[in-house]
Amino acid sequence: MKQALQISWIAIRELVYEKVFYLLFSFVGLALILGILLGQLTFGEQAKLTLDFMLGCTHISMVLFSIFMGISLFQRELQMGSVSMLLSKPVSRTSFLLGKYLGQIAVQLGVILAITAVTVLSCLRFETVHYLALAQAILLIFFETCVITAITYFFSVNTGGILAAMATFVFFALGHYNTASNRKVATDSKPLTEALWSIVPNLEVFNLKTYASYGVTISSKEIVLSSAYALLCCVMFLVLASLTFERKDILT
Amino acid sequence: MTTTPCIHITELTKIFKTGLFKSKTAVENLNLQIPSGEVVGLLGPNGSGKSTTLKMILGFLKPTSGEILICGQSADKRLARSFIGYLPENPRFQKFLTGGEILRYYGKLLGLSGSTLSKKTESLLELVNLKHAGDERVQGYSKGMTQRLAIAQSLLNNPPLLIFDEPMSGLDPIGRIEMRTLISTIHTENPKSTLFFSSHVLEDVENLCQSVALLQKGKLKTYASIESLISNEQQSYDIILKNLAPEAESKIFPQCPSKVLAAGKSFSVKGPEKLSWVLSQLMGSEAKIVSITGQRRQLEEALFRASEGFVTREVQA
Repeated sequence: MKQALQISWIAIRELVYEKVFYLLFSFVGLALILGILLGQLTFGEQAKLTLDFMLGCTHISMVLFSIFMGISLFQRELQMGSVSMLLSKPVSRTSFLLGKYLGQIAVQLGVILAITAVTVLSCLRFETVHYLALAQAILLIFFETCVITAITYFFSVNTGGILAAMATFVFFALGHYNTASNRKVATDSKPLTEALWSIVPNLEVFNLKTYASYGVTISSKEIVLSSAYALLCCVMFLVLASLTFERKDILT
Repeated sequence: MTTTPCIHITELTKIFKTGLFKSKTAVENLNLQIPSGEVVGLLGPNGSGKSTTLKMILGFLKPTSGEILICGQSADKRLARSFIGYLPENPRFQKFLTGGEILRYYGKLLGLSGSTLSKKTESLLELVNLKHAGDERVQGYSKGMTQRLAIAQSLLNNPPLLIFDEPMSGLDPIGRIEMRTLISTIHTENPKSTLFFSSHVLEDVENLCQSVALLQKGKLKTYASIESLISNEQQSYDIILKNLAPEAESKIFPQCPSKVLAAGKSFSVKGPEKLSWVLSQLMGSEAKIVSITGQRRQLEEALFRASEGFVTREVQA
């Protein structure tokens, strides 16, 4: 674990040094400004629409951030060959993977906190905003990005960068379609399709954006359950990634 | 008394899948024992399996069959890698870190900390002549500096086994000399450590190694000490002479191949005894010795014979 933390600290520095980080960060900023401006176009529902747009932008930005930074952080080290010097030390591949993941999650936490600060500041002029609902929505967006990052790592270990990005986007789309009612229609009670659907996490669990814009909160029990579900998904994908990575031939 | 070999490879085979029904054997039934404290060169042309063998020793590639033991530990165990210091062919570092930070980072991964790590970092930067650049980001380092930093990181835990993959690759002549001197210094300072390195350059191998292993198409063609390889070969010398009388020529160089050059007439003499005799005969003649050059083809020829003609221009380069 100590080695994983060392690797995560370098991963944090690497991400902050990356140009892609600032590009994505600029996108986040632009999306938030757009959210504020679009909110101005309405009359009477300004608070709700501003919040809607801002949370939507936060969600999309963070998903893009998880996928592209994950691929950049993991794949580049493999392609560049610096991984060979690291893995020639008594460091397990799982520690390497976990270190990179934890580093990225730490940076994502920093980014989402910055986004939250901007969102809160831009909503201060509205009296109708429910801040607890807003905090819950953003927290669950963060949980979702943790899951998306784990999925990105799983695919990055198995395929190249572009394929990994595409596969993660497919999982993201399916994950938001994977609600109990949709699943029932899609699987039609066939065991094979049911089994295939069961490996796709239900990402709609983490979608509280509409709740937040209407000022509706969920119970702390539901928050705990959602976080446990996110943790389970992260562990599952990271274990799968680690098992594959441990057996993978490193050719660099 | 028998000692555990530093590297013990038994029946090692690696087959890569290159397609759905295609495969390529990179290394086949390799058996090799590298004793502790030796400097051993791994030679072979491109595609002979040198890098694949090194990567299997390091655990980057999983052998299809066979076993590798590093200081008695199985190479697929994490513990085995604590005995190894590795220099890759093209070392790359996180460019935002300084030389000192990189050494501290790898040192921490090896379990070093506090003043031990600081002292080690300082001494290694000094050893590889990078003390002046220890606080500079590696993105500004030259190829030679990067190579030297990579050597420094391989020495962090004083490993008993050093594996260098083409350590002189891509360096200019001065860089090559510096690297060769550095490798000699490392081995002089740590005489018990084993240095196993791959190279295309016979001159480097001849200057640095005690033994050489030659791979061809994934198979070990020869593994012997350089001394034993060379002792079977006769050193030859080129002598260029001026004003050598025809009678003296037929007496001193009977049936000896000669070439007429601008500087004089060149004769090839085999063996130091023959050279001494030729020189003693020339003392009494009017001939003027322009030059005597020892031909550096010994290891090359020895390997050529050992591999039944495998040593190609590529390896000789």
